[in-house]
Amino acid sequence: MTIAQTPPPAGGPALSVRDISKSFGPVKALKTASLDLMPGEVHALMGENGAGKSTLVKILAGMHAPSGGAILVDGVQTALPSPRRAAEAGIAVVHQELLLFGELTVAENVFAGHYPRKGGMVDWAFMRRRAQELLADLDCHDLDVDRKLGSLSVAMRQRVEIARALNHNARVLILDEPTAALGERDADRLLEIVLRLRARGVAILYVSHRMNEIFRISDRMSVLRDGTYIATRNARETTEGALISLMVGRPVDQMFPKTEVPIGGPVLEVRGLSCGPMVREASFTLHKGEILGIAGLVGSGRTELAHVLFGVTPAQSGTIHLHGQEIRIASPRAARDAGIAYVPEDRGAQGLVKPLPIRENISMAVLDRISPAGLINRAKEAAVAKRGFDMLGVRASGPEQIAGQLSGGNQQKVVIAKWLQTNPWVLILDEPTRGIDVGAKAEIHRLICELAGQGLAILMISSELPEVLAMSDRVMVIAEGRIRATLPREDATPEAVGHAMTARRSAS
Amino acid sequence: MLKRHGHETVLAGLVVIALVVMSFQSAQFLTTGNMLNQGRLMAEVALVALAMTFVIVSGGIDLSVGSTMGLCAILTGVLWQNMGLPLGVVLAIIPLIGLICGLFNGFLIIRVGMPPLIATLGTLALYRGLAEGISQARSVRGYPEWFAAIGQGSILGLPTQIWILGIALIVAGVILGLTRWGRTVQAIGYSEPAAHFAGLPVNGAKYAVYAVSGLAASLAAILFVSRVSTTRSDMGTGLELDVITAVVLGGTSIFGGRGTIIGTALGLILVQVLKNGLSLAGVRGDGTLVLIGVVLVLTLVAGAFMENRVRR
Amino acid sequence: MIGSTTLPPSGTGAVRRFLREYGHEILVALAIFALLVGVGLYNPRFVSARNLTTIFSGNAYIAVAAIGMTMVIVIREIDLSVGALIGVLATISGTLAVSGAPIWVAWTVPIVAGAAINAISGILVAYARIPSIVVTLGMMAILQGGLITATGGTWISNLPPEYLLAKMTVFGLPMPLVWAIVLTILAGLWMRLSPFGRSLYLIGGNAEAARAVGIEVPRRIVAVFMIHGAFAGLATLLFATQLQVIQSTTPPNLELIVITSAVIGGVSILGGTGTVFGSSLAAVLFATIGSALIFVNVSAYWLRAFIGTLILLTVMADMLRRKRTMKGA
Repeated sequence: MTIAQTPPPAGGPALSVRDISKSFGPVKALKTASLDLMPGEVHALMGENGAGKSTLVKILAGMHAPSGGAILVDGVQTALPSPRRAAEAGIAVVHQELLLFGELTVAENVFAGHYPRKGGMVDWAFMRRRAQELLADLDCHDLDVDRKLGSLSVAMRQRVEIARALNHNARVLILDEPTAALGERDADRLLEIVLRLRARGVAILYVSHRMNEIFRISDRMSVLRDGTYIATRNARETTEGALISLMVGRPVDQMFPKTEVPIGGPVLEVRGLSCGPMVREASFTLHKGEILGIAGLVGSGRTELAHVLFGVTPAQSGTIHLHGQEIRIASPRAARDAGIAYVPEDRGAQGLVKPLPIRENISMAVLDRISPAGLINRAKEAAVAKRGFDMLGVRASGPEQIAGQLSGGNQQKVVIAKWLQTNPWVLILDEPTRGIDVGAKAEIHRLICELAGQGLAILMISSELPEVLAMSDRVMVIAEGRIRATLPREDATPEAVGHAMTARRSAS
Repeated sequence: MLKRHGHETVLAGLVVIALVVMSFQSAQFLTTGNMLNQGRLMAEVALVALAMTFVIVSGGIDLSVGSTMGLCAILTGVLWQNMGLPLGVVLAIIPLIGLICGLFNGFLIIRVGMPPLIATLGTLALYRGLAEGISQARSVRGYPEWFAAIGQGSILGLPTQIWILGIALIVAGVILGLTRWGRTVQAIGYSEPAAHFAGLPVNGAKYAVYAVSGLAASLAAILFVSRVSTTRSDMGTGLELDVITAVVLGGTSIFGGRGTIIGTALGLILVQVLKNGLSLAGVRGDGTLVLIGVVLVLTLVAGAFMENRVRR
Repeated sequence: MIGSTTLPPSGTGAVRRFLREYGHEILVALAIFALLVGVGLYNPRFVSARNLTTIFSGNAYIAVAAIGMTMVIVIREIDLSVGALIGVLATISGTLAVSGAPIWVAWTVPIVAGAAINAISGILVAYARIPSIVVTLGMMAILQGGLITATGGTWISNLPPEYLLAKMTVFGLPMPLVWAIVLTILAGLWMRLSPFGRSLYLIGGNAEAARAVGIEVPRRIVAVFMIHGAFAGLATLLFATQLQVIQSTTPPNLELIVITSAVIGGVSILGGTGTVFGSSLAAVLFATIGSALIFVNVSAYWLRAFIGTLILLTVMADMLRRKRTMKGA
């Protein structure tokens, strides 16, 4: 049972996607996506957040049914109505959010749903032996396959998921942002594994944000933008800059309309802030009118830092000064009262109450101000909602429309409008443009610059390096819970930031 | 109005139809005496249901209300007869006991992080067990005349319970519909993290909701003991079923978020009308248990389909 | 990050694996043993053959019911109606027995009927997506009310002697005990060794991931509820044939006792873990405790308070354990 014993027909693609589209209700997540995946190639799938990469991956995994178009496996049109059929067709997917079973053993996780049988019964001995072999193949010779999966590190769990894909004899392996949560050393090991699989003739679709690794391992790259296929390039014939402009679809200065704003005195001074393993000894100063960008990998502690500043997980040690006065932030409520606002990463779950109208969402953070003696003053509430609605130019039928019916960009405007009603000094934006289409993105960027122009101190967390680099006055790089570097705008090159993001701490 | 309160409108229609049908079934049904008496009988369930509306709107559930009621009823008897406390003092202590029961549920759910269903299933057994252990199956009788007035008397020609219910209904309706506390509970039910990230006092609101549920159960216990002039450890058994049925029938989503006090009131009336009508028509008491179960399940199924349609 | 640096405990691989896999079950067995010895020393009548038969055989039906409940809880659902269901099935079976139907019919019908009735709950949970606790709360009311309405509370007596399965013996062992042991072992092996059995752990552990590996979750939910109903039918046979009469009420608290047995036996209320061995042993432990309370002169009226405390403590311990496992990452 080694990988790809019989090489697929020479020359033909292992997997072809033809004009695949997908709608969720009125939202078109994918319009016309097409690409060819050859055996033995690493094909990078690129695009900004919300470009439709994840939707395409889920369609190929058999988790979503496409609304139109065709999928060809080895040149034969194939329907993928279920994950099982996708696996049978030789397509294996390692999802970004690993789909594993924490309470079961490593061995069982490798075989989940596809148990080896002897006399109709699960063959545990074979399962353990084979899992050991598969993992040894992935440089995990030392892993005890009887351990519960939940006790492993993220990198190890990911290898278990890859082992599962290999066990299915996959000829097409799709990796969705596999290094997003990995440090440099683990990421390197993963890339080696990918290259080894390529050498065996596996066709690999590799979704990632990290330019350097894409250029290191990919043969070709395809770009999606706004759900539409844009172009495919050979790795040797293209450059990073060319790819970015394909992804963004417009000149960079138009996408990131950065305006120079005079930077004032310090607003927020953080010294030695710590909370658990993810926020360690954070010290920095945020000034009036400044946009301080935070770059870091998923799981580096960037969101955790925001959560400490906003009181979601209060600090265990360290000090926070606002306008020179020491403040204690024990809850989001306290943060709000102090003048700190936070636009969270997960807009759907944390930012908005989707089933409620825009009005109730906008007034939510200032409910006590508009409800003397507890009774909500409807007139005041309507006024607050209208102000926020108009100020941000939310495109909707009116403040009574249900927030969940809006597009991503307009939802984000509602969240920002909610927080502007509290008249904050400090605005923390966590992934402000995740899942937002390109047009709305530029609009949000313009808004951020305007707010900085009005004197707000802005802390902006983003996974998208171009966004951080183009928008920030300074860039703070976080890795393993620590601030590794703070670079002024001029020095914040992709290389410098990328290096600081993935550098391994000396004593590991 | 009709669009946003469609469920309540349909329910009100059903209540009217049920009233008409039942009045044809039995001549005694549509008499003032019977109506007032039904108001008296439904008071305990109604009080607890008003509080439960908040619990379910917040996305939780409280299965322990019947047991809390039983425990409070038993303690009323034990504190008064066995410990010799003046009944007036006992009546001041009992609400505190209910509050503590509710706060303990809150503690398990909020601090320990147990799913509400499991936490209150555990306390359902625990509180009932305490009631049984304390009472050792002895009942207490012989309450003074003035105490019986609460559950059996009238004020201005209306049963005491109707007054209490009326006040509770208005207070609950105003809090849920018009105040920031009601809005907070609703936001928590729709999305707890979003409420938390908007700076709303999530934990405080959840503690309050469970505390009030316990408090309502203890008040129901006092009303019940006063009405029947006796205490037994099995009082309130199955109360949670009646209460949850009325709330869910009233249009409150079992998943939290959506729900109104008017809906719960209509749900309560509908259940009571059906119960009363059936018993007047000669169906025995346990037949109504079947009816409640069927009504509960059917409402949930209908609700699930509506919910699915909205989500799509 | 910790890779895989934890040192394996010494001992041969198979033994170590067994201890790791069945640590909780062994603990429950030891607790039973300790209780028998401890209370036996205090009051020797506790370990008399007669009392032991009462404990083990008289409560065997709870262990059998706990087998099905284990499967339901493993897939992260729950069933509050099992007590009422057993009450209804007992009356159906008893009625058949006295009406002159062949004995095998009186024995088989409850099993089939249990599966059929529970299929309704399963469908509502799986396809209408209503939380199982509410569905089964409603079912409990329907079954309880229906039972009393239909029978009017009368008892069934004059059961034919050949119907009384629980009074029979095999090789000198009481039939209920034999059944409980055999069914536990069969169901335990089935859950360990069959792909179907394993899929229950996948569903309870991570339903989305289970779907992604191709398991049809809703169908499995219905199947599990039906199997659970069939086990409730089997439990009924052991329960209803213990005495000469069948009361047409539902055994009080039975659902709580069955759920508690599963939970104390190591079945996590959060789904995805636990074995029927644990549940059955815990049912025995539970019966032993109940009996011990009497022998150390604690009023039986405290039993339910005791159940409640045990449920809460076990769930708390389970949540703490899970937090620790996840922190190990």
